[in-house]
Amino acid sequence: MRLINHIREGWFNLLSSKLRSILALLGILVGTASVVAMVSAGKLATNEALKQFKTLGTDLLAFSVNDASEQDSIVSKINNLTLPDALNLKKINKMIINVAPYAQLYYSTQFNGHPLNGSVLGVTEDFADIVHIRLASGRFISIMDGYEFFCVIGDKVNEQIKKLTLSDAIGQHIQIGKNIFTIVGVANPWPENSFVYADINYSVMIPILASISLSQYASISNIILRLDPKADIELIQKNITNYINQKVQNKRLFFRSAKELIARMSKQSQILTIFLGLIGSISLLVGGIGVMNIMLVSVVERRREIGIRLAVGAKRSDIWALFLVEAVMLSLLGGTLGITVGIFIGYVMALFSHWEFTLFLMPPLLGFTVSVAVGVFFGYYPAYKASQLDPIEALRSE
Amino acid sequence: MSIIDLQNITKSYRTGFSEFCALKGINLQLERRDMLAIIGSSGSGKSTLMNIMGLLDYCSTGNYFLLGEDVSRLAEKKLAVTRNKKMGFVFQSFFLLPRLNVLQNVMLPLFYREESLTLSHQKALEILKKVGMEKFIDHKPNQLSGGQQQRVAIARALVGDPEVIFADEPTGSLDSKTGREIMDLFLKLNHDEGRTIVVVTHDKEVSHLCKRVITLKDGLIVCD
Repeated sequence: MRLINHIREGWFNLLSSKLRSILALLGILVGTASVVAMVSAGKLATNEALKQFKTLGTDLLAFSVNDASEQDSIVSKINNLTLPDALNLKKINKMIINVAPYAQLYYSTQFNGHPLNGSVLGVTEDFADIVHIRLASGRFISIMDGYEFFCVIGDKVNEQIKKLTLSDAIGQHIQIGKNIFTIVGVANPWPENSFVYADINYSVMIPILASISLSQYASISNIILRLDPKADIELIQKNITNYINQKVQNKRLFFRSAKELIARMSKQSQILTIFLGLIGSISLLVGGIGVMNIMLVSVVERRREIGIRLAVGAKRSDIWALFLVEAVMLSLLGGTLGITVGIFIGYVMALFSHWEFTLFLMPPLLGFTVSVAVGVFFGYYPAYKASQLDPIEALRSE
Repeated sequence: MSIIDLQNITKSYRTGFSEFCALKGINLQLERRDMLAIIGSSGSGKSTLMNIMGLLDYCSTGNYFLLGEDVSRLAEKKLAVTRNKKMGFVFQSFFLLPRLNVLQNVMLPLFYREESLTLSHQKALEILKKVGMEKFIDHKPNQLSGGQQQRVAIARALVGDPEVIFADEPTGSLDSKTGREIMDLFLKLNHDEGRTIVVVTHDKEVSHLCKRVITLKDGLIVCD
């Protein structure tokens, strides 16, 4: 009951000096809003960055096979991974669900004599499944294609072809290097993903065997695996390294797992978020000093009131509580409004950056807690000062 | 048993290197139903004496017995409780809280006693009726005349049912007619209800109305 009364009295006091209260409140508001907006923006950016990995699933493991030393780089097809070797990876550990080796070819592509902006990828049937390629029309590369000169084109390549011809891309021919390939499928737009080194939208995908036969430089250098979610990634990496070293010599493997990548990125953006939060806190600190200033003025102005209260039997702790409650109310009110403004700023930021907006619980909670803490911290000293006044002197003052 | 029993009370202030003695050994017994006036010129120590009797200040030496209990060295927190329960104050310039209305002002001492809201409300109304201010409960102090404000202040002093009421120049800011009305109210409270009242004043007319008058001069009682 006493607290409720303190709150009610504090409210009256704040109302009676409106302009001053609003100014102090504004300081806290801006501070809290900047903390909430900054932290929200940091989290939104993180989410956006992680989204592309999450669309593919977190249970992906990719590795590239490179020559161990520069001297050895004399091309010898004998020392390259063969397709059956690559596909047999599936058998070395139960936790490996699917394997998609792919080869990159550095050949120019042309359509009806016009050069196309696109790179050539040698892929297998399972590639579409692992990196989530959906077809707009036609079919994907199949295991049955073998060495056939068929190709599936990405969305952007299809757009370029559309500008050159009126008829449907399927059945048309693309020249890759010196060879002619028939288009059998067109892929839908593919959300960009930095986990896969190639951009599917700008790709012409051909059977992997055909790609190896086309060029003596082409080899199975990249493999993407889908693992069981419960898989022990380190163990699988060890298994794969052993297996590959049996098949080919002098190769070094570079692994990238989606889980690790996500963990690393999360950590980085966590640091960023903390940093942004700290910047926001500086303005909250300034707001807190504003509250302290207002409260100190208020204590001086209300000395007589303090004296009267002490005379009618208020304890020092009552006076202390009265002023502290006022300071906390100021910052609480400013904090609540600041959270609203901060969330709104976060929303606007997301809108302009074309990010997906999510309402996080953490930044508002943080803003709320910190603003109350600011109120207590910066209200403590003025309240203490008020409570230490001598009743006689306080009564005598004007 | 006396309500207040002061034994050889002194009070000295240290100002720089010199020591100033405001009270130089006061012995005073205040009985129940007394109406005491403390008079003296300014600087005689009468305000200091009232502050000590009202537990707003500590004495330097001596003993102060309130209802038989030595309160001269009581902890501050206990002093606040004692002030709240046993004493009521009326000041020269009323000292009502400007933001609160009449009723809230009167309820203030009960608030620090953690009385329930409905009970304090009821008590405050009762007291306001007694001082003739029941029509003004919603008014703010600045909407009232001086005499009306002093009545409210008296109601505030009375609401906690104190043992003693201390009035520091209660008529000092009022014209003589209103001052007389306020004094009549004090006399009535003393006569009808047996309230113990201590009035500090330099107004001879006021002190003449009291049963007992002590005169202070240079920190000593020179006339009782």
